[in-house]
Amino acid sequence: MSAERTRQVEAIAHGTVIDHLPPEHTLKAATVLALPDDQIFIGMNFISKKGVAKGVIKIAGRELNQMSLSQLALMAPEATINIIRDYKVVSKQLISIPKSFDNIAKCSNPNCITNFQNCITKFEVIEKKPLVVRCFHCERSFQGDSLHLR
Amino acid sequence: MEFNGRHIVSLRDLSKEDLLKILSIAKNLEEKPQPDLLSGFLMATLFFEPSTRTRLSFEAAMSRLGGRVIGFADANSTSQKKGESLADTIRMAEQYADVIVMRHPHDGAARLATEVSGIPIINGGDGSNQHPTQTCLDLYTINKLFPNLIDDSDQLTVAFAGDLRYGRTVHSLFEALLHFNVKILTIAPKGLELPESFTQKATAKGITVTVVETLQEAAEQSDILYMTRLQEERFPDPVEFDHVKSSYRLNARMLKNAKESLRILHPLPRVNEIATDVDETEHAHYFPQAGNGIPVRQALLALVLGKIS
Ligand SMILES: Nc1ncnc2c1ncn2[C@@H]1O[C@H](COP(=O)(O)OP(=O)(O)OP(=O)(O)O)[C@@H](O)[C@H]1O
Ligand SMILES: [Mg+2]
Ligand SMILES: [Zn+2]
Repeated sequence: MSAERTRQVEAIAHGTVIDHLPPEHTLKAATVLALPDDQIFIGMNFISKKGVAKGVIKIAGRELNQMSLSQLALMAPEATINIIRDYKVVSKQLISIPKSFDNIAKCSNPNCITNFQNCITKFEVIEKKPLVVRCFHCERSFQGDSLHLR
Repeated sequence: MEFNGRHIVSLRDLSKEDLLKILSIAKNLEEKPQPDLLSGFLMATLFFEPSTRTRLSFEAAMSRLGGRVIGFADANSTSQKKGESLADTIRMAEQYADVIVMRHPHDGAARLATEVSGIPIINGGDGSNQHPTQTCLDLYTINKLFPNLIDDSDQLTVAFAGDLRYGRTVHSLFEALLHFNVKILTIAPKGLELPESFTQKATAKGITVTVVETLQEAAEQSDILYMTRLQEERFPDPVEFDHVKSSYRLNARMLKNAKESLRILHPLPRVNEIATDVDETEHAHYFPQAGNGIPVRQALLALVLGKIS
């Protein structure tokens, strides 16, 4: 790590670094994304180059699947996803926000039919920044990061 | 958009064109009844929550077009109680009937039903979410009273009174009226005011929304006064509810200086908010309003069953 700046969290040889997470959602994101055998490093309240507090999650050895990407889009639409190979960042992506979130979150309206029947949920994106979604069934709108994942 | 085979779940699904079509067909059916139009068709009314008005009015509408009706009026008497899923009840009813009218205590139930139904679903109320046929009949009533509504030639002033925060009939009618040349007044108890997002939507369309202080003012300045019921459960404090309830009560005396053409609407049931002495004035129009449910629901049934296009 000679020429590099020192890392506050362990370097990984291959894997994924999710950066610029809102600190308050970092632990939740790590819990949701982790598979049972994952080696994961979590950093909280680091200060970014722009001077704002952020969270970082590093997952060794693998990339994220589509499901995880949508979960992240809902919880932390502003995060970036860095793919690491041989200790180097080989790609950096902003999270892309889908048109709708299908079956990944639970509706926060306690009277919503989806909380009583065995059925899929669907939230349509009505605003991207800040992320606001509307339940396809009960038609209520919510902040994306306020929803609980299923 | 084509109505044949279509579900009527939310006002969101109905364009201005759709609404105008429903109004014009309802008018035709009211003026020229068609007692055999739906003969041979069967409507299933699935009422998982009791409702007298909506169910009777749909059944009357279907019968007066020559169609027949099956259904249940109380979820306790059905297999729901035995744990049958909503989807399965719909799949079953679909085998028997040509159209399903349903009411359900949970928000979004009708939308869920459309996901498994091959026949049209008409939403007769899903929890506190939508009740689109009520909005259609409200609009029909207003247009019948003031035909200028749809040709936009005169501006109509519509006052909304009551629980404007949670009242779903208010929200739906409000949105429907934004298609037309109207001015809106609101009067609501503290804490039950119209959500800001509605005012913003109106402003974006160049429609003004003005808050007035008393029922009397609202009555004097409007063409339509749309009253709604206050629900006790919206008030954290029962004393507060009693207080608001007594100050929020329209009586005949308050109508002395109203325009002659003012008409008072109410989705019913009314409780305390309209004194019975208003019934005797020419302004009371809530019972004819309820009667308009028949031609409007006839129009919707005939449209989704493809017998009128
Ligand atoms: N080999 C590695 N092991 C673990 N983390 C790494 C590795 N390489 C980079 N990172 C982390 O991945 C993230 C992105 O790295 P990069 O070098 O692109 O930083 P940056 O220029 O600050 O990017 P950004 O502008 O997205 O903040 C940083 O949080 C960095 O600490
Ligand atoms: Mg950085
Ligand atoms: Zn919902």
